[in-house]
Amino acid sequence: MESVKQRFCELSTLVAGVHQIFDQLCGDSGGYACLDEDTFYRAKLAAHEWAANLVQHASFDNRKPEVDVDVWPNGNKIECVFEDNSDGFDLDSILEQRSNGLSPLPERGMGLLMLSACTSELSYEKTEGGIYRLRFSVHSEADPWLNIPF
Amino acid sequence: MSFTVEPCNQETVIVRIGKALDFRNAAEFKSTCQTQVRSGARNFILDFSETGILDSTGLGSIFSLYRQVSPLEGQVVFAAVSRPVQVVVQLTRTYKVFRQFPSVEAAEEALL
Repeated sequence: MESVKQRFCELSTLVAGVHQIFDQLCGDSGGYACLDEDTFYRAKLAAHEWAANLVQHASFDNRKPEVDVDVWPNGNKIECVFEDNSDGFDLDSILEQRSNGLSPLPERGMGLLMLSACTSELSYEKTEGGIYRLRFSVHSEADPWLNIPF
Repeated sequence: MSFTVEPCNQETVIVRIGKALDFRNAAEFKSTCQTQVRSGARNFILDFSETGILDSTGLGSIFSLYRQVSPLEGQVVFAAVSRPVQVVVQLTRTYKVFRQFPSVEAAEEALL
């Protein structure tokens, strides 16, 4: 199956657009013919959390936002790439801080941890072209969980 | 996006979550629930039968509600949990905090 990709130049349309990409992926495969349902929803959740992070927190300085999203099934996993022209941030540091510092029943701060828990082969880097690229896979065999303090 | 609230009795309400509870409407959810708490509600049945996305901010707003009603000996329970929401419940292990029921009616019976 081919990938589903789309460019977004308005952040206000990003989240709904990402959902549409996954809906299209689901439709093209005749339901979940080549993907199990939970893997699909974990991938959609991970993509949603990243899109939400871009909408709520990313700095684009005075540039017009450009976000490219590419999603494709690959055997027993779903692969996803986000590329954007934001200023980026230190994802590893934030993840480490959040991992060690969540309050009991937290109201905020779970998003990137949920993204990390759902995914494997998660990478975030600045390319030679100056754009930031998040790439991740969601595997059907994975047993993800997030240790929220209760 | 908006939420439908149906009273069961003076202390218990059903909140129909609808298509999504996420960063776009979590503040509205909190405000809706706070209004209900001020009116005397302390038990909340969250109907997730139509819900396609529950994200971290949406879950955080439910935690906020739980912290609000717990001192009142109130409860927050999940009903008719859709598969996308169940994925979040398992990922975050929130089944340890929120009881789940197969239907709103089953939740009503347990709380009334």
